[in-house]
Amino acid sequence: MAEEFEPKIVAFLCKWCSSAGSDLAGVTRMEYPYNVVPITVMCSGSVSPLYIFSAFKTGADGVLVSGCHPGDCHYIKGNFYTRRRIAMVKKLLEYIGLEPQRFQVSWVSAAEGTKYTQIIKDIVKELKPLGPQTKLRRIP
Amino acid sequence: MVNLEDLKKETKKILEEERVKYIIGYKRGSNGLMPVPTFIKNPEDVEKLIWDPACVYNLTRFLVDEKRRKAKEKKPDERAVGLIVKGCDSRALNVLLQEKFINRDDVYIIGVSCENTGVVDEKKLAKKLKGKKILKIEYSKKDNFVTTTEDGKTEISAQEILAERCLECRASFPVVYDVLLGEKAKRKLDNPFKSLENVEHLSKEERWAFWKEQFDKCIRCYACRSVCPMCYCEECVVDTINYAVAADTTAEEKAQRIKWIEKSPVASENIIYHLVRAIHLVGRCIDCGECERVCPLDIPIRLLNKKLEKEARELFGYEAGLDPDQVSLISSFKDEDPDDFII
Repeated sequence: MAEEFEPKIVAFLCKWCSSAGSDLAGVTRMEYPYNVVPITVMCSGSVSPLYIFSAFKTGADGVLVSGCHPGDCHYIKGNFYTRRRIAMVKKLLEYIGLEPQRFQVSWVSAAEGTKYTQIIKDIVKELKPLGPQTKLRRIP
Repeated sequence: MVNLEDLKKETKKILEEERVKYIIGYKRGSNGLMPVPTFIKNPEDVEKLIWDPACVYNLTRFLVDEKRRKAKEKKPDERAVGLIVKGCDSRALNVLLQEKFINRDDVYIIGVSCENTGVVDEKKLAKKLKGKKILKIEYSKKDNFVTTTEDGKTEISAQEILAERCLECRASFPVVYDVLLGEKAKRKLDNPFKSLENVEHLSKEERWAFWKEQFDKCIRCYACRSVCPMCYCEECVVDTINYAVAADTTAEEKAQRIKWIEKSPVASENIIYHLVRAIHLVGRCIDCGECERVCPLDIPIRLLNKKLEKEARELFGYEAGLDPDQVSLISSFKDEDPDDFII
């Protein structure tokens, strides 16, 4: 039997909420798929669209950008900027024909370890039937 | 209809008053139909100026070059630069003013209104006239174009040969100007995003196939970047080599520089280039269509920008280039911005 496809997800987690949320999931020993590669950024607002394109180009099957809930941003309004910018990136990626499931955005607070594990589980479940992302991947 | 004599008179006046360093306009090119940009310093030279439906270029781009040139001069001439703008060019100017890239005092704007027509699409025109050499094209009284070929004059309906962007133009008159020639005509427009429909109606896979084919063609000549009045970054993300390499830059430092995009024109790199270009123009692109016009491989670049323009309008109610005092799209937010896509 062929091995099941395991998607690789790059997650940009903001330092103050989502990264702490994933830490919480870790220290409370919640189980969640190992497909995710977390990258801590100072704020979800600092995630340049180029990071996202670059992640896809260098082999990510899915990308997750996660920040604080609106109003909870450590930098007061960073995630509001994220919301606008990422909305445009999402529209653009869908427009050129990338599956919308491959690029996700979430708000995860430092207390929401359970929500974080659930998000990862959901994304992995959605990406498995899609197979590897080959559209934006660099041709070696 | 803009009277050419008025335009000449107006430019002559400001040149004689020495209010401007020079005027950027259009003059007859050496190759038949298409005009070329011209820089006029002497009042006598205004006779060279022309204005006809083939004046497609967005001259705003020259302000970017002018700013750079001025920064290098030891004793720069502080007078303004005269600039002839159409509706779309004036919106580009508005965005540059909004971003405080240029000062309003540094430019003297002579607005020419396209009224109910616009500028021609060279390719459509060539097709229409079946390759006959066109000597001249003029606006007619009934919002049509009159072309002169070797066989004589023919009147062509404007709708047939107008450039795509002109068919979807919402403001065919300058929105910012010092002098305005022609009238502010409000034209009827059913669907300003009509050109998008063909692509939007496709399924996801078909859309991908379409864009893949387009991006595959790209040879990365960067003509679209060079012609865009908004692409004025000192360093472009695709030219990482342009980072200041000083005598004391170590090999290690150079090696550690992130190379976001490879220079080779392969599909995967081209896609990233075009995506980045589109994202950088979100809320800034004013749809002058120059990127698409200059593309030697006919990539419909405008469709990318247009799509984001549409989304910005639908999601955030934002329109670029109409007001130099508004806050730019991605440096502002509203509490009620849509968040239905967020988990």
